[in-house]
Amino acid sequence: MSEPWPLVATGSAARRAIRDPGPLAVSLAFYGVVASVLATLWRTAAASHGGALAGYSSAQFVWYIFTSEASIMALNPRQIELTGEDIATGAVAVELLRPAPVLGVRIATEVGRCLPRLMGCALLGAVFATVMVGGPPRPAALFLAAPSLVLAVTCNLTAQHAFAGAAFWIRDARSTWFLYQKLVFVLGGMLLPLQVLPAWLHGVAAVLPFTAMAYAPARLASGHLEPWLLALQLGWLAVLAVVARTVFAAGERRLQVVGG
Amino acid sequence: MSSVMRAAVAEARSNRGAFWTQVSAMALNDIVWVLFWVIFFGRVGTVRGWDRSRVFLLFAVLTTGGGLVLGLLSNARRIGQLVVDGGIDAALALPVPPWPYLLVRGVDPVNLGDVVFGVSLFAVSGSPTLERTAVYLLGAAAGAVVLASFLVAAGSLTFFAGRSEAGDLGFNAIILLSSYPVDIFAGTTKVLLYSVVPAAFVAAVPARLVDHFRLPQAFALVGVAAAFAAISWAVFTAGLRRYTSSAIWTRA
Repeated sequence: MSEPWPLVATGSAARRAIRDPGPLAVSLAFYGVVASVLATLWRTAAASHGGALAGYSSAQFVWYIFTSEASIMALNPRQIELTGEDIATGAVAVELLRPAPVLGVRIATEVGRCLPRLMGCALLGAVFATVMVGGPPRPAALFLAAPSLVLAVTCNLTAQHAFAGAAFWIRDARSTWFLYQKLVFVLGGMLLPLQVLPAWLHGVAAVLPFTAMAYAPARLASGHLEPWLLALQLGWLAVLAVVARTVFAAGERRLQVVGG
Repeated sequence: MSSVMRAAVAEARSNRGAFWTQVSAMALNDIVWVLFWVIFFGRVGTVRGWDRSRVFLLFAVLTTGGGLVLGLLSNARRIGQLVVDGGIDAALALPVPPWPYLLVRGVDPVNLGDVVFGVSLFAVSGSPTLERTAVYLLGAAAGAVVLASFLVAAGSLTFFAGRSEAGDLGFNAIILLSSYPVDIFAGTTKVLLYSVVPAAFVAAVPARLVDHFRLPQAFALVGVAAAFAAISWAVFTAGLRRYTSSAIWTRA
């Protein structure tokens, strides 16, 4: 019996990513630099405030940042642009010939592609954080952070495909990835825990899907045993999947490709 | 060289709708970073002598100098990729020196939004006087030379390594490290920021000069910029001697 297409797409993409170690090594090195810099900033800030800020100790900040950065840096930051270009140029038309949904195969492939990077970043981050500030603040919460990281990248990729689906209607949707990325950076909690935000902005961020993409796993890894964050991520994943499927279904109906 | 750059600018402006969309997108990107620093210093106050206004000045210098390099000399960050793809072949066939030709041949409108943003940020938050403005422009120009030189040198390592990943990593690292207050780092990391990855000279040192101008330090900055330009040229030239085309003919 043949394997289901999501497993085939995810597995083959993951194997391809592992077999090309150059880009993987660069991603990990860059992750190490970025996360170390940001962790140093927040650690220094907390230290200058008597060791804690917005309810996070220096050690919690370091574990938070290494995890939030891993959840974002495991992905191609320009995925919206790439998907949008495939739609705008009509390259996506070839995929309509497959006996599997275009959106599903694309998301499964991207999840597979980013899994080796995610594992590498998470392991590297754990080593760096341990060296900087010692072991995880609460190991049980860190255990929950592992599935939360996978859910975070899946939510992010699904949302990016929903966003990129605008290219079915707007030919040049490339620059929108800037906007999306910054929403994840700030409202998603990649650069800072949501508790650092002003109360009104924290309230806004809490009802947006971006929290599922960085804040949730980082909050868990920083020692906050809050299992409901996983349920929140699953809920947002369902919503985002419906939105993306609706956008792609409508877009595929109106897709016109000229030439070949 | 000026006609090559004019042609590159005209090419970038040919799609005016996309041009302004991309310029605006980058300005928006920068505004989000400003928002981050507003939130950060709103919570923290000061960190090792850095407050909101000093970081805004740092950011103004970085976006101005960085925008000039990544906008007007956009091939500076693509040297490694051009070497791998055979993209420099076309430049080698022309009766001009390849190093400056490649630098001025590509214009990226997205990053010109950085320049607009940087100048605006300095005008709004940099307390501009005649002297401060002059130092800011000099500092941004010197920072731009350091940045372009580092990017070309890092990209030129592809001549020797055969892969462009070192250049990509160098680009991301120097941009990132330039955008944070240099004094949060200590020990070896800080030494690296003043030497191997000269991020401190791209924005932090010029920004410090705007606030506290000292003639010897200004000369030192110009000297460092000249030294990095010379190193960049030397690494590129040495690499070019080893270059054998990948036999893919493209437009540089």
